[in-house]
Amino acid sequence: MSYPAPWHTIGRHALLPAAQHDERARFDVVAHLNAHVAQRLAPKVREAYESRALNAWRMRHGHEPADRHQVAEAMKQDPAYRAFSLVRRNTMEIRQHAGRMLVAREAERLSGAARAANEGAATLRLDPNLDLPRYVTAVDTHLMQGGYTSERTALDVSNAANYDAGMYATIGGSGGPWNDAAGRALVAWLKQQHPQFAPRCIVDLGCGLGHNTLPLREAFPQAEIVAVDVAAPMLRYGHARARARGFDDVQFLQADATATPLADNSADLVFTTMVLHETSRQALPKIFAEAHRLLRAGGLTIHLEQPPYRGLPAFEQFMRDWDGRFNNEPFWSALHETDCAALLARSGFGSANVFESRCTAPPAGGSTRGDEQHEDFGRAPAWYAVGAWQVAKGLAANG
Amino acid sequence: MDSTDMDHSLPFDADPIQPAPAAAIGRRSESPQFTDDPMLDRLYGITMALITELAVTRTRLDTVEKLLARRQLVAGGEIEDFVPDDGEAAARSRLQAEYLDRVLRSLD
Repeated sequence: MSYPAPWHTIGRHALLPAAQHDERARFDVVAHLNAHVAQRLAPKVREAYESRALNAWRMRHGHEPADRHQVAEAMKQDPAYRAFSLVRRNTMEIRQHAGRMLVAREAERLSGAARAANEGAATLRLDPNLDLPRYVTAVDTHLMQGGYTSERTALDVSNAANYDAGMYATIGGSGGPWNDAAGRALVAWLKQQHPQFAPRCIVDLGCGLGHNTLPLREAFPQAEIVAVDVAAPMLRYGHARARARGFDDVQFLQADATATPLADNSADLVFTTMVLHETSRQALPKIFAEAHRLLRAGGLTIHLEQPPYRGLPAFEQFMRDWDGRFNNEPFWSALHETDCAALLARSGFGSANVFESRCTAPPAGGSTRGDEQHEDFGRAPAWYAVGAWQVAKGLAANG
Repeated sequence: MDSTDMDHSLPFDADPIQPAPAAAIGRRSESPQFTDDPMLDRLYGITMALITELAVTRTRLDTVEKLLARRQLVAGGEIEDFVPDDGEAAARSRLQAEYLDRVLRSLD
């Protein structure tokens, strides 16, 4: 049994909500509840499946469940699965409510701090006329009331602050003190697999508040870095947060990842971290096509995600699908059934230039579990990566 | 995913301090029901909230004890060995009885 990092070990910066005693304690309970769900309740679900639900299904149907849908059918009455789901769902609701109350108390100070940091900065470019995609505005992703784009007041940053503070509790600090494990994992992969790769321009599509953008700045100090998102509150907070941490030259740009205002052939690295599963099926190929448009010859696009379902046992697919079913991740299931490698190939890169890999975050200080390969059905600091190299445009062979 | 079923709008000017109604937390769909009885799902929700708040209270108490120990106002073991005097014990008994009367009122 390993314990989640207590909330007070989170990296401090001027934009972080100043949580009081009970607010910190509440986040700690949430982190422990999630650890309990993953380490104690999830194994009970597997046990229940193997010891009773599977046999009951076989007796009734004469065969094993063929896919995750049949596993779900076999398990929907099971008390272990119901208890697991009730505790997990309630923990997410408690986490969201705890964060919402914290930032409501701090909303004015945070908004003021963001305004002071952002005022007149050329590195923050917002577009009030941007047509926000409905697949973003219509969903309270992972139960965050109002989603990424809503604003309670002018210049509101409260949902972004809630996301920043609460994520540390949700993942028990496994992303390191700056919640940036995916960015660090990408950097480690690049340095290990392609030590000569020296991008001059890096684009992070769907950057959110830029958690995972900043490790790229540390790794490639000479590169121009553009962090793109549709949500103004996330960008306002993220830009101010980056400045508070001493990153003054990362650009934050409000734009749709399917159609950015950036020039053709202007980037050497176009990446996403945990974005594709929050993207609609219609937008996904357009994002890949946009990466292709942006990349120069020799450039790389890479996307960190949870692994696709294909090849996984039906029971594991079913467990990994929990967020898609019960955590307001409406695109989760479809994304994990999508062959992103094939989609990249068809988006202009050509199948010969597409790859799949795995990225793992190196250990970071401040976390008691950041260096573990602890399987948490979607919340461990290791990712599936799918990507493609840009050869000279027009020469990529599709096959 | 069909986009036509994504219209469970939540007015975002709702008071942020108020917990969102369970059914409105996800605008995309109603809150899932995991048991055969919606009241049981609600009871789980209340129990989970109480678990959380009890843990928060225990942590706060632990903070108080640690601060008292740091400032040497309470010596190690003094809390574990604490025995109330007769007057304190009587007052505590009354508090306990009144507390149980209150929380078990629905069984009367």
